[in-house]
Amino acid sequence: MATNPMHQFAVHRIGPEIKIAGIDLSFTNASLFMLLSAVAICGVLFLGTKEKKIIPSKFQLISEMFYNFIAKMINDTAGSKAKPYFPFIFSLFMFVLFCNMLGMLPYSFTVTSHIIVTLLLAVFIFIAVTVIGFLKHGFGYLKLFVPSGVPALLLPLITVIEIISYLSRPVSLSVRLFANMMAGHTMLKVFGGFVISLGMLGGWLPLGFSVALTGLEILVAFLQAYVFAILTCIYLNDALNLHH
Amino acid sequence: MADLDDFKTRLKIAKEKLKKHSNNLNSNENGSFMGSAFKLGTELVSAVAVGTIIGYILDSWFDTKPWLMIFFFFLGSVAGILNVIKVAKKMQEKE
Repeated sequence: MATNPMHQFAVHRIGPEIKIAGIDLSFTNASLFMLLSAVAICGVLFLGTKEKKIIPSKFQLISEMFYNFIAKMINDTAGSKAKPYFPFIFSLFMFVLFCNMLGMLPYSFTVTSHIIVTLLLAVFIFIAVTVIGFLKHGFGYLKLFVPSGVPALLLPLITVIEIISYLSRPVSLSVRLFANMMAGHTMLKVFGGFVISLGMLGGWLPLGFSVALTGLEILVAFLQAYVFAILTCIYLNDALNLHH
Repeated sequence: MADLDDFKTRLKIAKEKLKKHSNNLNSNENGSFMGSAFKLGTELVSAVAVGTIIGYILDSWFDTKPWLMIFFFFLGSVAGILNVIKVAKKMQEKE
């Protein structure tokens, strides 16, 4: 069982079974790691903001780096109008980043390698951005689907295409994160399995690959959290600054 | 003269090192190129999938299997290509 590369993604119950109105709400290893990442985020930010020194401590330095990074990203991609949405994008980025990074620890569970988690995040973003767009522009937001300068004959076709393109946003957003995390972790496990099956004689080559892949996976874990956050900013920009 | 030659060879070595370093930097960028290629791929595929699913749902509403699904598959492909063009334009603006 331990050599099955997909075994690491299994969700199992921890503690008693909780059923409310026929829905299974038991505490699983997935919930445990979501809770752990939330606790880790709160811990890092609490330690970082406890004492504000001119010469920062390590935790203060890292919290300030995260803050500046996200603030700059929002300002660059969505402009100053997106300032009120900073807390949302900051928590989103930190949650995805910490889930990805906690998944890199041996024997841990990667929450973001499950499509249901990433799809839920993406659908929430999609609905929120659509609601914000309609609140800011009213029915003028529908202009997003009707590009200017299109012949009247082609207009119905183009509108349908634009709507499909708009609806594909949450799908591409969630599939990207989920596929990257799942593929990376499966590959790590497969190479780990090669080390054991080839033994002392030929196991050194896949071991080297595993080490290199671990480095690559840490890069991917950060990059995917960044891409998730920056695409949220881009969608928010479309909703706030309508230009067509 | 010996001193000057020495300096020249040292300069040459240092310049080569710099070149190697900048090449390394470029190869790092290649890593994120893989990321952007993956991004373009998912944009294309997800629009096709969404189009086909919409077609499938409309088919079961209007009982016109399989025509709307085929029609929306092609619309989805067009939307996917449109997505890729939009993302590629944004990438070029950044450079």
